[in-house]
Amino acid sequence: MANLHIDNVHKSFGDTHILKGINMDIADGEFIILVGPSGCGKSTLMNCIAGLEQATTGRIIIEDEDVTEAMPKDRDIAMVFQSYALYPNMNVWKNIAFGLEIRKMPKDEIASTVERVADLLQIRPLLKRKPSQLSGGQRQRVAMGRALARDPKIFLFDEPLSNLDAKLRVEMRTEIKKLHQRLKTTIVYVTHDQIEAMTLANRIAVMKDGMIQQFGSPQEVYDEPVNLFVAGFMGSPSMNFIRCKVMEHQGEAHIRMEVDGKDYNLPIPKQEQAVRQRIGQTVILGIRPEQITHVIPQQDAGPNMASVDGKIIVTEPTGADTLTLIRMNDQEVNCRVHPREAKEPGETMTFMINMDKAIFFDPETEDRII
Amino acid sequence: MTQSVSTPEPVRTVRKVRKPSLGDRLAEQIPRLVVSPTLLIAVVFIYGFMLWTLVLSFSNSRILPSYGFIGLQNYERLFGNERWTVAITNLAIYGVLFVVICLAIGLLLAILLDQKIRAEGFLRTVYLYPMALSFIVTGTVWKWLLNPTVGIQRFVRELGFEDFRFDWLVNSDMSIYTIVIAAVWQSSGFVMALFLAGLRGVDDSIIKAAQIDGASRITIYTRIIIPSLRPVFFSAIIMLSHIAIKSFDLALALTGGGPGFSSDLPAIFMYQFSFTRGQMGVGAASAIIMLMGVMAILIPYLYSELRVKKDDR
Repeated sequence: MANLHIDNVHKSFGDTHILKGINMDIADGEFIILVGPSGCGKSTLMNCIAGLEQATTGRIIIEDEDVTEAMPKDRDIAMVFQSYALYPNMNVWKNIAFGLEIRKMPKDEIASTVERVADLLQIRPLLKRKPSQLSGGQRQRVAMGRALARDPKIFLFDEPLSNLDAKLRVEMRTEIKKLHQRLKTTIVYVTHDQIEAMTLANRIAVMKDGMIQQFGSPQEVYDEPVNLFVAGFMGSPSMNFIRCKVMEHQGEAHIRMEVDGKDYNLPIPKQEQAVRQRIGQTVILGIRPEQITHVIPQQDAGPNMASVDGKIIVTEPTGADTLTLIRMNDQEVNCRVHPREAKEPGETMTFMINMDKAIFFDPETEDRII
Repeated sequence: MTQSVSTPEPVRTVRKVRKPSLGDRLAEQIPRLVVSPTLLIAVVFIYGFMLWTLVLSFSNSRILPSYGFIGLQNYERLFGNERWTVAITNLAIYGVLFVVICLAIGLLLAILLDQKIRAEGFLRTVYLYPMALSFIVTGTVWKWLLNPTVGIQRFVRELGFEDFRFDWLVNSDMSIYTIVIAAVWQSSGFVMALFLAGLRGVDDSIIKAAQIDGASRITIYTRIIIPSLRPVFFSAIIMLSHIAIKSFDLALALTGGGPGFSSDLPAIFMYQFSFTRGQMGVGAASAIIMLMGVMAILIPYLYSELRVKKDDR
């Protein structure tokens, strides 16, 4: 258990700059997720924390100890790999015990540790098997067991669930979360799956091009994304982005929106003062699919509620909701509608837009307008 | 309950596709037609001749094959022959040393080449090149190198070490070891290639995991990587040992079995008895013993290979 402080870390290979000044302050016991598209540098950052790669400049401090130059073994971390990286020639027991043997732990202590971990992860019946005789989910457990046995200061997870099938992935996700709640060890977890990020993290760091775009709680990142990239990356189906103009209407700033030949004036919420100043300018309206729904009788009266009539292009039933595609300002917009309310493609239905949750981006800088 | 209303089935008109022509049927058979002559040749010239050799080994053949059955007499004469005992002992020395040294050098080279070094492709080719030579060439080159009057011994003496002796080639106690040297030189590059392929198959993250676990580079190799190369060791040992048993051309070119018959190998023995000394029966018997040696190695190998394939399914 330890805090982790990453201080202006840069990493470059020759002329390619992978990390461009990463700063993170991670408290003891936090579950941090690094998320981003492939090639954003998240795995490199992970390797720098682990000591498998040396940071070009900057410092990495674990529990108030500068480990920037330290070897991986001296950092007291444990890592779970995407490919599990089990030692193929050793059985499960030996796999878990290997790190302890190397650290010269007494034999009886090793045995009791292995058994404790095996019970914790329910892999006791597998202890005598070789990795090749295990299923993906079992390998995953063994890989975690190997990390747990060492009782390290920090756990690093490098896309640990991406090789599992969808059902198992959800199960293991819950398992990892339970484990963290029990052990309360600091975890840094890399993934490209934004749902994993949302469900597991205390805080999410969204990365792109070697820089952290936003570092905050899952809800913060979801509701208040700082730029177009973060907004588009988090959430599935992703946020709708609609180019539109800010217009004055009855003395108030409004969003002018054209839906199937009809013009609407959508209200801009009070908190978006900066947008209200931009009368006559184009902005990008970001609104999540779940904020555009069928008309719900009690809710449609709020000051920032608007309704539009849209012709449905395509519907995608997901069971819980039906995703409905319409066109606004000639751009495709995804709406999330209750299956019973959804109409057929080609028909027109009335949608209710909750502008309270709308956010606005500058089309030039792609940053949120504040 | 569902009520089945019987409506008359609509009559479907189905057009028939024309039957395959002779050409089509021939085309289907082509793979079999192409393979069958090869199969026939293999059966006659490999298995047929093996059988013939077996028959000859029980016959009273001398210069030419004859078919008087004499039981196991040829085998008795074979094992009573001092020259055969020398050949078998030599094969044991040569086989063990050749396999072990080749494995050691091949593994070492492969590990060194696997350290992400520069010009790896070039070095790999350099080490692999001896394999492109025929054993006759290797034997001839090493004969010159090891010849005391023209090779290494003379070279070192000319450097000023007048008492230097390296006369294994003409020393009947040591001549078999010169064959080991030449054979190792020729084959260890090949073993290196096998091991290198095996090392490339080791997942990088396994090494990373071991590093984080605190293992040193040497521990990673001795406890994780080399043990995981077991299948490669197995294949390498099989290939090397059957090369060793069949060794003929190298020994013939390098020492000719000499001095005397001190570096005789079973293959040379077989050749000389069958074709130059007019004792075809004894020669055939020695050939059968060699075949049994090769089979003793190959059958367990094939068995395990085929069994693994089944398990992998």
